[in-house]
Amino acid sequence: MHGHGARGGHRFRKGADRAIVLVGNPNVGKSVVFGLLTGQYVTVSNYPGTTVEIAQGTTGFHGSRSVVIDMPGINSLIPMSEDERVTRDILLKERSQVVLQVADAKNLRRALLITLQLAEMELPLILDLNMTDEARSRGISIDSRRLSDILGIEAIPTVATRREGTDRLVKELSNPRVSKYTVKYDRRIEEAVGKIAELLPEQPISRRSLALMLLAGDTSLVPWLKAYLREDIITKIDQIRQAVQAHYPDRLSYVINQQRMEAVDSIMKEVYSVTDKTGTSLAAHLSRWSMHPVGGIPILLGVLYLVYKFVGEFGAGTAVDFLEGVIFGRYLNPWSVRLVEYLVPISIVRDLLVGEYGLITMGLTYAVAIVLPIVGTFFVAFGLLEDSGYLPRLATMVNRLFKIIGLNGKAVLPMVLGLGCDTMATLTTRILETAKERILVTLLLALAIPCSAQLGVVLGMLGTLSLRAALVWAGVVLGVLLAVGFLSSRFIPGRGSDFILELPPIRIPQFSNMLLKTAARIEWYLKEVVPLFLLGTAVLFAFDKLQLLDIIRKAASPVIVGLLGLPIQATEAFLLGFLRRDYGAAGLFMLAKAGQLNPNQTVVSLVTITLFVPCIANFFMIIKERGLKTALGMVGFIFPFAFLVGGLLNIALKYLGVSL
Amino acid sequence: MGNEATDELLELLWILREEGEDRLTEVLQAAEAANAEETLRNMAREGLINLRSDRVILRQEGKKRAEEIVRRHRLAERLLWEVLELEQRYIHPEACRFEHILSPEVTESICTLLGHPHICPHGKPIPRGECCTKFKTEVKPLVVRLIDLEAGEEGTITFIVPRSHSRLDRLLALGITPGSVVKLHQKRPSYVIQVGETELAVDDEIAHDIYVKRGIERKGQ
Ligand SMILES: Nc1nc2c(ncn2[C@@H]2O[C@H](COP(=O)(O)OP(=O)(O)O)[C@@H](O)[C@H]2O)c(=O)[nH]1
Ligand SMILES: [Zn+2]
Repeated sequence: MHGHGARGGHRFRKGADRAIVLVGNPNVGKSVVFGLLTGQYVTVSNYPGTTVEIAQGTTGFHGSRSVVIDMPGINSLIPMSEDERVTRDILLKERSQVVLQVADAKNLRRALLITLQLAEMELPLILDLNMTDEARSRGISIDSRRLSDILGIEAIPTVATRREGTDRLVKELSNPRVSKYTVKYDRRIEEAVGKIAELLPEQPISRRSLALMLLAGDTSLVPWLKAYLREDIITKIDQIRQAVQAHYPDRLSYVINQQRMEAVDSIMKEVYSVTDKTGTSLAAHLSRWSMHPVGGIPILLGVLYLVYKFVGEFGAGTAVDFLEGVIFGRYLNPWSVRLVEYLVPISIVRDLLVGEYGLITMGLTYAVAIVLPIVGTFFVAFGLLEDSGYLPRLATMVNRLFKIIGLNGKAVLPMVLGLGCDTMATLTTRILETAKERILVTLLLALAIPCSAQLGVVLGMLGTLSLRAALVWAGVVLGVLLAVGFLSSRFIPGRGSDFILELPPIRIPQFSNMLLKTAARIEWYLKEVVPLFLLGTAVLFAFDKLQLLDIIRKAASPVIVGLLGLPIQATEAFLLGFLRRDYGAAGLFMLAKAGQLNPNQTVVSLVTITLFVPCIANFFMIIKERGLKTALGMVGFIFPFAFLVGGLLNIALKYLGVSL
Repeated sequence: MGNEATDELLELLWILREEGEDRLTEVLQAAEAANAEETLRNMAREGLINLRSDRVILRQEGKKRAEEIVRRHRLAERLLWEVLELEQRYIHPEACRFEHILSPEVTESICTLLGHPHICPHGKPIPRGECCTKFKTEVKPLVVRLIDLEAGEEGTITFIVPRSHSRLDRLLALGITPGSVVKLHQKRPSYVIQVGETELAVDDEIAHDIYVKRGIERKGQ
């Protein structure tokens, strides 16, 4: 564990003189400030050994080059989440760093709680009081000069989106100060801190702050402790901690933070004042409406409709047609076929590249021409919802609904993303807090959330049938979603997480910030997901060459014909369906068009294929995120279960004599 | 009234019993007084407890007295906390002194004043008294749960039930602390609350665990 961190330290400062670390609560404008400091070129990477993403860029002024590191938003430096732990670790390990804390001026109280912890660490620190425009419009004024005096560091008011005050920010960054402010804790705590500090080695951050973290019982420090301290000293520290703890009814971490909060409140009294608010703004009204128990529903449906129009019709329709039909179909694929045939003499390699199941003609075409426009438009829509502040309100609307299936409102984000691409959505289950929630959402995504590639074909086929047929399909899939969610949330061990979700004000999204975010996400998609599509294609290619496809076809046909009551040709569609979800649906589409499926059979086959694991890339992603064992378990459940539900539907329709 | 050493031990036995602990060794370890063992033997002689092999068991009489002491202690804590707004760290030691001196009448008036609270500031149950059933509906409680406010109403947080430590830490980092003013925006489809300029959507359980005094009472402003 500690090895990771040490390597991280070097990795984040290749060649630069120093590191500027951006720290702050979530949603305070850190990304905007980061963009201002670094310009365009940024790389997003995972902190070693974690799923936490860190953006890095460089900036140069006054002849020195600095790496700028954008940390995820945090609320405390006594870590309660992986994001907070990584931030704390970077501060703990990085040498010659400057900390730039971005604060939301109107939420100064929460920001100062972090400031005091940074001051405690005795790191060179600059405080950016951002969003002063929003603070002003709420009648809040902050005496930044007084604040600066109290803390002994620069406190600079800015409006990052309008570049107000940012010149001064850049200027002060070259000459940061270490805060002289110290929180005075209870005598008992102070004594213990003194005793523990004596036992600690020299570190990039002050011993006092480390001692306080240890006193707070921060278990995430254990790897660090083990790396730096002898066993007997660790035991001694623990004894000191327990002796102090015995005097307080509350846990020490809470006691310490409460005393910090008292210090914050006394600073607040001197620098922060609220004059009468100037009425309720339009944004505040919008916020209330968007979460209204009744009025919020049409807004929700309206938003979903717009997203569907943009992603489902423009992205999955117009853009895909253009990329697949014109760019790849007319130019790239024919060119690469010719190029490969000219350059590569070995036929099997040629097939691997540009054959029926070729990496270029099938894999790349699928990943770039079909999925990319869909996820690309989806990222734009998602970014708009995110930056406008609607997403957390959507989560608030559906929280109680999600509780039924053992989740909370936060899970709405990956679920909605799943309608774009399940593989991507599986990746974003990282935002969920507990392992149980991540497994549950991964399972439900794979089972019951059709991705846009498939949804298009499914809706197209249902469109040719009756409304009743469409309702049966939707009803069964939704029923499965709820039932499986409800039951598995009771069987999967572990616990759910608290639903505490911050609702930032409704804002008009800023174009450049959106652009930056979308670009970073697309880069992420190209790096993390596209290789999986290629791998999937390679597997399909191998199956084909080894004639395994035929064997599977033969083995599966009794189930398809006997249980589902479908013609034998449907087997092909199901098989392909796993490898490429839209292929499966498209295969069924062909069968239906050729008159080989009656409406009942169509609905049965659509239900079954919707419930299937979306595609092989999704399967790989599940392995990657959840591990092989879990992935096999899920697949082992989903395939038989999909056939079972399809079979039951077939029998029920037959028995009831319903024809759709 | 018995002596203080006996009272302290009775209180300790009650608290340990809440945690399901009645082993003699544990009791002796938790007791602060040096001569605890002797006091226990005296108490057994007075018929307050039974000492059986390794267990200490409260008898009828002892249980009744322990309950009263704990009730006085925890009511005193609530009083200090809510009305005098003493900081949490001073509450426990102060309440320790109160528990020995409050008369039954005063205890009842405090209970009534506070609206017959169910739990102490640390989330432990307050044993019920006679007044609690008798006057239940007559006094409008000073302190209510957040969920009892009307949508749009404001209150000052008096305490938060510490159901889990990490939740408490998280709420604190978001500015939800005793003394802060909270506004309840809506109850459905989820609870939405605001502290300062921070707006949060929270689970029902969390809203259930936050107690507030109606109206605004900014500390020191
Ligand atoms: N009104 C206003 N909005 C800002 C300011 N700085 C950033 N924002 C907006 O606040 C939102 C969150 O900013 P972002 O940089 O993504 O926050 P982060 O989560 O801290 O990285 C975006 O919609 C920004 O456009 C500011 O100074 N004033
Ligand atoms: Zn009462």
